[in-house]
Amino acid sequence: MLNTPVVPTEPAVSLAPPPVAMRRAEGAKEGNPEDRVDVAILGGGINGTGVARDFALRGLKVALFERNDLAFGASGNSSGMIHGGVRYLSQSPRVTETSCRDSGYIQHIAPHLLFRIPFLMPLRDGAKARIALELVDAYFRAYDDYQPLKRGEPHCRLDASDLAQLEPGLVGGLVGGVTFDEWGVDGVRLCVHNAVDAIEHGSRVFVHTTVEAIARAPSPDDPYRYVVSGRDRLRGHAEEVRARVVVNATGAWSPITAALGGLPQARVRVRPGKGIHVVLDRRITNYGILSEAIDGRQVFLEPWQNVSVLGTTDDDYYGDLDDVRATSEEVRYLVQGVARTLPGVRLARAIGTYAGVRPTLYEYGRNEDALSRDHRVVDHGADGAPGLYSMIGGKLASYRLFAQELCDHVAPSDLGNNVACSTHTRALPGGERMPDAGELGSRFAITPVAARRLVYRHGERALRVLERTARCANERDTVCPCEPVLEAEVRYVLREELARTVADVARRTRLGLGACGGMRCAARCGQIVAAELDLAPSAARAMALEFLDQQARSRVVALGPEQARQEALLAAHVRSSLGDAS
Amino acid sequence: MKESPAGATRHVIVIGSGVAGTAAGVAAATIAPSVIVLAGGTGASSLATGAIDHAFWQDHHPAAHGNALSERAKAVLNALGGYAVPATGCTVVTLGGLVRRADGRDASLLDVARLNGDGVAVVECNRPGWNASELAFSWGKGYRALEAGLLRHTDESLLPDVDLAARHDDASRLGWLAERLREALARTEARWGGIVLPPILGLERACADALSERVGLPCGEAVGSPGGPAGLRFERARDRALSSAGVVKVAGRASTVEAHGETWRVIAEDGQVLDAYAVVVATGGLIGGGMEYAPSEAILATALPSHVSPPIRLTLKAPLMLGARGRPLDTPGSLFGFAPESLARPFSRDALVETVGALAQTPDAGVPVGGSPPGLFAAGDIVADTPRTWLGALAQGAQAGTSAAHVALSRAETASGAKAAPVSAIPL
Repeated sequence: MLNTPVVPTEPAVSLAPPPVAMRRAEGAKEGNPEDRVDVAILGGGINGTGVARDFALRGLKVALFERNDLAFGASGNSSGMIHGGVRYLSQSPRVTETSCRDSGYIQHIAPHLLFRIPFLMPLRDGAKARIALELVDAYFRAYDDYQPLKRGEPHCRLDASDLAQLEPGLVGGLVGGVTFDEWGVDGVRLCVHNAVDAIEHGSRVFVHTTVEAIARAPSPDDPYRYVVSGRDRLRGHAEEVRARVVVNATGAWSPITAALGGLPQARVRVRPGKGIHVVLDRRITNYGILSEAIDGRQVFLEPWQNVSVLGTTDDDYYGDLDDVRATSEEVRYLVQGVARTLPGVRLARAIGTYAGVRPTLYEYGRNEDALSRDHRVVDHGADGAPGLYSMIGGKLASYRLFAQELCDHVAPSDLGNNVACSTHTRALPGGERMPDAGELGSRFAITPVAARRLVYRHGERALRVLERTARCANERDTVCPCEPVLEAEVRYVLREELARTVADVARRTRLGLGACGGMRCAARCGQIVAAELDLAPSAARAMALEFLDQQARSRVVALGPEQARQEALLAAHVRSSLGDAS
Repeated sequence: MKESPAGATRHVIVIGSGVAGTAAGVAAATIAPSVIVLAGGTGASSLATGAIDHAFWQDHHPAAHGNALSERAKAVLNALGGYAVPATGCTVVTLGGLVRRADGRDASLLDVARLNGDGVAVVECNRPGWNASELAFSWGKGYRALEAGLLRHTDESLLPDVDLAARHDDASRLGWLAERLREALARTEARWGGIVLPPILGLERACADALSERVGLPCGEAVGSPGGPAGLRFERARDRALSSAGVVKVAGRASTVEAHGETWRVIAEDGQVLDAYAVVVATGGLIGGGMEYAPSEAILATALPSHVSPPIRLTLKAPLMLGARGRPLDTPGSLFGFAPESLARPFSRDALVETVGALAQTPDAGVPVGGSPPGLFAAGDIVADTPRTWLGALAQGAQAGTSAAHVALSRAETASGAKAAPVSAIPL
């Protein structure tokens, strides 16, 4: 039996007006049976899509609303590590254990999305350095106990010459260090796979659709207790479903969502913690490298797919959640922190940054790093809204477990469904089997690199993408040469994975996120999006320009000498061929 | 350091062989006999896409087209050949899906404003980035896809534009292409006004006109991406123009320009030393490498930088003052340099990196002139507060070359007195 942390149902003390969710949706139409679902889920991040899949696999009917795009927030902007939470070992070993266990399950259900990241943790020589090394060694010995849960190797203790041999770019004056083993995953793909699997099990997913109201059904006897109304933000039309249960999985947006249902925000309060990453144009080490920032926080460099990623910060965030961006100050803090251990990082070319906001459990008066990374289900029955739940907190690595905890509680109690959870035994779409990339490449006449990247993102479904090229040879064209991304994949994610803008395609395929900053692909991608979604040519260009502009904003904060030249070239190109909206 | 032989003081040395440097060299050579262009690679000019403008085209007032070219700039354009700058401007189509105005064009680009007929054929061609029906849709009414087999060999669907363009330098291959287009036209009923092709029409020189003649209908390229054939055609045209103007092109990158008595001395990175009465610095901006973004923090591994410095610097040592918006560039109040948000698009519309350059001492002339001795000029992207455009660089280069040649001639006369005029340019 899982240790389900459902919050006790004490009524919250609130002076707020009666919850809107208590009011009847007046004049609401009966609607057609299609619009009746067992569960309405708000939020298309890893928690929302994870829980959608879980309910769907139990045979329940689900509708999911996402205000922006799948994985738009923290889920798509994390370091991508499904790590065991070694950082939390002393604070909350339960988080470490559940993270490790679920990291193992993710490896099982999405083997194609994985890549191993062995880390080095070097220690500087100095007073008490030997003792520090002993302590670190002992700490990781304790972590070794959890490693088998996620196919991790036990740690190794290294001396200074071992370190110099493994990563010659490390700074001198080290006393030694340890290795430890972690795995990385593409967080966006993980969300998309979960959403697609939910759809294939009968769910409906509305992206770019913001929920405007959560109200009670007109009839008190209606088992479909809630009316959830949303609006498509790109096209403006309304969407409405009736649901027996509503799950708020909107991460950092949770208090905003709760307010729509008239619930006391204090019950779902999070402490938004902004984290940024800096992306370098290539892999510059074989190992992930830990380092110490100026304030003593741990920061890292991580080889991630075909780039390197520096991470991460954790700062209280007060800004707009739909527009989270790294600042040059955060970038300087990170680069300085990593350069202390790996000076060469300053010579590398930063091609972008990304930022997200963690929905950390709320607590006042503590340092950001000291906050718990645990998760919690809030039952709003105590707030007079039975069948309404919020998912607060959580981590990428333990998303599946979090979803299971919620469903194990809600499915029997609210929906009379006793089907057991199967999200850890059934493969995600594409995860059933790993096709041989070399063989696919030669069969479909595409380059081995393109084939390998495609298999990474789509697993067995790379075959479905490539079958498009057999029907239409033009789709073998490389739209984004940096990654590379084929036209067939762009069309596939538009048709099968709910992408609706150039930025959505980029999120799913990494198109335009490489060294050229979208210069060579944004316009073409816009044309394909317009063709697939039947939009006007001007919309295609506007979309491409908007993407280029957003990307430029994320890059300029990390501007270095080489990238400055690229920016000038890109600006000249955009002016010449796309028109300059700004 | 190799000293030049005594008496080998040239009239004019142009540093840089992009559009501005070429214009300066060609213009100077019409006045002064001894002109050298020091060529260290071509930056932004090689990356140009063939649509050429004075100002950023979106800022155009409709009436501002054409006629802005000075006579000497027109002369340079004629010497280059392969460009059309009609008084009324022209209209081109881009792979970004846009139909746009331009002040002029590389002669291989199709000017769709001058077509008659029922429509413009967009040739279907299985090449990356080229989807005829989607481009036709994007360009709008009148554009329609036309089926025609342009590719002769299997490798050609993946060949870069420049390589395929080079194949059309061959007259018989161009004839083969014309044949395919004529066949394609014969299969349709429509009365076409012209044919748009991918940017593949020639590398040595624009071959659109030759193709049009053989097909019997105006044919030309769409505007492609930087790094396409239009940029390389410029390099070929430049080499021909410099050579026929009697300008000597010397390979090398300048590291220093300094006053040397009454003349100017240019020292190249490989140690070559060149002296002249006048120098035109046309080393480009950020793209070409005449300037670079050099924040203090780039050296900041463990220690603090020893001093604050302006975030942009010249890559060669020269007595030119960097600035923007008419004011000298200052140091920031931070050891880390300016916040890049304040330097670059899209946070700032007239971002520093777009405007910074050598400040003009005589702003009216549009060409900055160095201090003592006279005879130091700058042109092109390295000049502050001018839009970094192709025709802008051409005009500035032509003016700088002309002024430099005049200064050089008069100073050579003063310096030599009764002595012989400077030697003709000799290759080093």
